[in-house]
Amino acid sequence: MLSARASALRPGLAWVLPRAVGPLVAGVVVAFLLQLVVVPILGPFYEKLMMDIGINCLLAVSLNLVNGFTGQFSIGHAGFMAVGGYVAGAVTYYGSFVLWGSAAVHGGFLGGGDLLFLLGCVVGGLFAAGAGYLVGLPSLRLRGDYLAIVTLGFGEILRVLLQQTGDVIFVPAQIEQASAFTLATSLGGALGFSGIPFYTTVFWVYVMLGLLLVVAYRLKESSEGRAFLSIRENEIAAEAMGIDTTKYKVRAFVLAAFFAGIAGALFAHETGTTLNPRELGFQKSFDIVIMVVLGGMGSISGALLAAGLLTILPELLREFSDWRLVVYAVTLIVMMRVRPQGLFGIREIWELGRPRRGAQEKRP
Amino acid sequence: MTQPNAAILDVQAISISFGGLKAVTDFSLSLPPGALQGLIGPNGAGKTTVFNLLTGVYTPQTGEILLAGERLNGQKPNRIAASGLARTFQNIRLFGDLTVLDNVRVACHVRAETGFAAAILRTRAHYGEEAAIRERAHRLLEIFGLSHRATDLARNLPYGDQRRLEIARALATGPKVLLLDEPAAGMNPQEKMALADLIAFVRREFGLTILLIEHDMGLVMRICERITVIDHGVTIARGTPAEIQADPAVIEAYLGAPDPPDASAEGP
Amino acid sequence: MTKLLQTLFDGVAVGSLYALIALGYTMVYGILQFSNFAHSDIFMTGAWIAYVVSAAAGWAVIGGDTPPLYSGLVALLASMAFCGLLGFGIERLAYRPLRKAPRLNVLITAIGISLFLENIGQRKELFGTQPQKMPQLLPDTTLFTVADVNFRIVDLTVIAVALVLMGVLQWLVFRTRLGRAMRAVSYNIPVASLMGINVDRVISITFVIGSTLAAAAGFLYVMKYPGALKQPADSTWILLGLKCFVAAVIGGIGNVRGAMLGGVLIGLMEMFGAAYLSPHMRDIYVFSLLIIVLLVRPAGLLGKATVEKV
Repeated sequence: MLSARASALRPGLAWVLPRAVGPLVAGVVVAFLLQLVVVPILGPFYEKLMMDIGINCLLAVSLNLVNGFTGQFSIGHAGFMAVGGYVAGAVTYYGSFVLWGSAAVHGGFLGGGDLLFLLGCVVGGLFAAGAGYLVGLPSLRLRGDYLAIVTLGFGEILRVLLQQTGDVIFVPAQIEQASAFTLATSLGGALGFSGIPFYTTVFWVYVMLGLLLVVAYRLKESSEGRAFLSIRENEIAAEAMGIDTTKYKVRAFVLAAFFAGIAGALFAHETGTTLNPRELGFQKSFDIVIMVVLGGMGSISGALLAAGLLTILPELLREFSDWRLVVYAVTLIVMMRVRPQGLFGIREIWELGRPRRGAQEKRP
Repeated sequence: MTQPNAAILDVQAISISFGGLKAVTDFSLSLPPGALQGLIGPNGAGKTTVFNLLTGVYTPQTGEILLAGERLNGQKPNRIAASGLARTFQNIRLFGDLTVLDNVRVACHVRAETGFAAAILRTRAHYGEEAAIRERAHRLLEIFGLSHRATDLARNLPYGDQRRLEIARALATGPKVLLLDEPAAGMNPQEKMALADLIAFVRREFGLTILLIEHDMGLVMRICERITVIDHGVTIARGTPAEIQADPAVIEAYLGAPDPPDASAEGP
Repeated sequence: MTKLLQTLFDGVAVGSLYALIALGYTMVYGILQFSNFAHSDIFMTGAWIAYVVSAAAGWAVIGGDTPPLYSGLVALLASMAFCGLLGFGIERLAYRPLRKAPRLNVLITAIGISLFLENIGQRKELFGTQPQKMPQLLPDTTLFTVADVNFRIVDLTVIAVALVLMGVLQWLVFRTRLGRAMRAVSYNIPVASLMGINVDRVISITFVIGSTLAAAAGFLYVMKYPGALKQPADSTWILLGLKCFVAAVIGGIGNVRGAMLGGVLIGLMEMFGAAYLSPHMRDIYVFSLLIIVLLVRPAGLLGKATVEKV
C-alpha cells in the first residue's frame, strides 16, 4: 500500500534535481568564497581560527548523530578523529615521498598534492568508520554509561598503541625501502606525527562541513533519520514499531566516525597543529561532548553554534589565561543548572520562535 | 471453537518463568481473522507479560506463536512488528520529544523501502516515499481526531490523546493483528464510549484482528466477542462475555480485587 | 618463581589502591546512578594536601631530617578530612540541585567540576603548575624478604591501610543503621524517603565517605610513587581515575565488593602484563579486560543485570 502510493507520488526529475544537488553546490560555493574573499581580508590569525572552528563543528555535528540523534552516549569521539588523522597523515606524508620525493606541499589548488590530500581524507574517514563499526557493535549489548566507558576505553587503547609506533621516517631512501607495514607503524610515537604537509585550507574544511551538514540535515528530515530519533526517545517503543535499533545504532556510530575521521584528517594537515596521541585523548573527547550538550542534544544548528562559541571563547579569554579554564568550568556547571537542555534543546535555531500549543495537561 | 488452521494469530501453550516465578503458564489463544477478543484478569495476573511474549520483548520458554502461519517466537520485536503484529503500551511509551505527526511517521518506517542512500541523495524515490508516509500519517491522525495536534510534541498532549496516539502509531506499522494494552486507562466515561466506537471503526476500516487488555469491564463486555481470563499466569476461563460473567472461577479470582467483573462497574 | 610472587605482591599492592578509589565511584553510582568523573580530582587533591601539609610542617625539605614517624598519619588524616569536606561541598552545591535532571547533565556537571578542581588547583596560590617530589613520610625500606620477594614497608602499609578502610566500609554498609539506610536509598529513593530515611543526609555521607577513601588512596599513591606528584591538571590523575572507574565497572558498578574485586583484578592484570608482556601497554590490558568483561557479563562480575520494565 505504501509503496504503491510512493510511486504514485514520486515527483519528476526536473523538480528533484535542483533540490538534491543545490545544497551541495551552495556549500562548495560558500567555502570557495570564504577562502577567496574572507580569508585575505581577515589575515592568517583568523584563517587559523576559522579552520579550528570548522573542524570543531565537524566533530560536534558528527558526534551529535550518535549522542543527540540516537541517544547513545559516546565519549570516545577523539579516538575516531585520531584514526582519521593518522591514516590520512600517513597517506599524504609517505605518499608524497613516494610520488614526489619529499613531503613538501605539492601543486596548487586542486593540484596533485590536493588530490592526494583528498584521497587521504576519504581513506582516513573510511578507516575511522571501520573503527566506528567495531565500537558500535558492543552497543548491541550495552547501554548508557557502560557504552560510554567502552568508547572511552577504545580511545585509550588507541592512544597507547599510537604511542608505541616508531619514529617518523624522513629519509627518502629509507622510505623507498621500507615495507608498507613499517611505514604504517612509523607514526612518531608519543612525540607525535610531525612533518605532515599543510594541505588543510578554509576551503577544504568548509566543503567537508557543508557535506556533513547536508547529510545530517537530510537524515533528520527523512524516515531513516526519524528511526534514529525514535531510539533516543524510547528504545523499547521504537523496537515495537519495527525499528531495527541495533542496525541504526551501529549506523549512527559508523557515520559519525566517518566524519570524525575526516575532521581528524583536516586537523592533521592544519598549520600549527601536531598530531600527537595525547592531544586526541579523552580530554578532546570531553570537549566535543560538551559542545554537543551545550548546543542541545539533537540540534544541528545548536552544535554548530556551541562549537563556534567554545572555540572562540578560549581565544577571547587568552588575556586571562590563568583563569581561562576556571571560568570555562564554572560556565559549564552554571549552564547545566540554568539551561540544562542546552542552548537550543532539541530544536534548530529557526524553530525556536515556533509557538507550541497544548501545554502540559496531565491527569493523575 | 475455531479451527486452529483458520486462526490468524495462533498461540499454543506458551510459558515463561522469572527465577522460579511462573509468570505465564501454558497460555493458548486462537484469534480468527477479524476477531475482537479480550484478555482480562486481576492485577498482576500476567496479562502484559503475555503481550510481551507475543511481541518478542520476552522469549517464551515453551510453546509456539504463529502469525498467519509464520513462527514468531524467538524473533526480535522489530521483526515481529514487521511481520504484522503491533501493540500499544499500558504505561504510555510515546516518543515524547517528537511531534505527534513524527510519532506516527516513525511507525510507517517499517513499511518503507528506500534506505539511507536515497535519504541522503534525496532521490525521486525518497520524495515519493516521504509524501506517501506523510499522507498515511495524516490520514491516521484524522481518524483519531489528532490532526489539529500534528505539530505538538507528543508529551504535551492530554492523557486521552496520548492513548489514542499510541493506537494510531501502532496502526501505522500496517499490522494484521493489533494488541491494545489498557487503551481506556485513565479516560472518562465519554472518552471511553468514543474509544469503543473508534476501535470498532478501525477494525472494520483496516480489516484488523484485535486483542485487548482492559480493566474496565463495561468496555470489555460491550465490545469483545470472546474473552480469556487469566490469573497467576494460568488461564482460568474463556468464553463469551455472558459466560465469563457467570463463571464461578472468574468471580472467585476477582473476589477482593478492585475490579469485580460486573458490567456496570467503571474501571479505575 | 620469585618474579611470579613479586609480581603477585606488587599487583595486590597496586590493586588495593585502585580498589580504594573504585569504591568512591561505585558508592556514588550505587546511590545516584551516575559516574562521578570528578572523583579523580578528589584523589588528586588528597595527594596534594598530603604534600602541602608535609611542606608546611617542614618535612619536605630536600636533604632535611627524616620526618618523624607520626608524620604519615598526620598527612593522611589531614588529606582525608579536607577531601571529606570537599566531597560534601561538591555534592551540596553542584549535584544536589540536579537530583532530578537527566543523567547526562549530571555527568557534564561532573566534568565541569573536574575541570574546575584541576585548574583552580593549578593556581600559584594553591598547588601551582609544577610537579613536586613527595617526601618519604614512610621509611622506604624492605621490611622482610621471603623467597627473594621484597616486602617494602610502603607496599605493606598500602595494603594494610586499604584493608582496614575497606573493612570499616564493609562493616558500615552491611552492619549499621546508616548502611541499611544507604542500601535503601540505592534501591529506591522515593520509597526510602517515605520510610523516613533522610535521603539528602545519606547521599551527603556517601560523598564524604567516598571522598575520604579517595584522599587516603591519594596519600598512599604518592607514598608509593613519591616522584609522581604531578601538577593538578596533568592527565596522569584522570587516567588513574579512569582505570579505577573501569575497576568498579568490571566488578559490577554499584556493588561494594565488586569494586574491591575489580580493583585488585586490575592491579594484578597490569602488573602481570607489565612483567610478562610489555610494560608500555599497561592501559591496553586494563581496557581490554574491561571490554571482554562487559561483553561476557554486561553488568560486571558481581553486578546484577537490570531489565527495564515494559
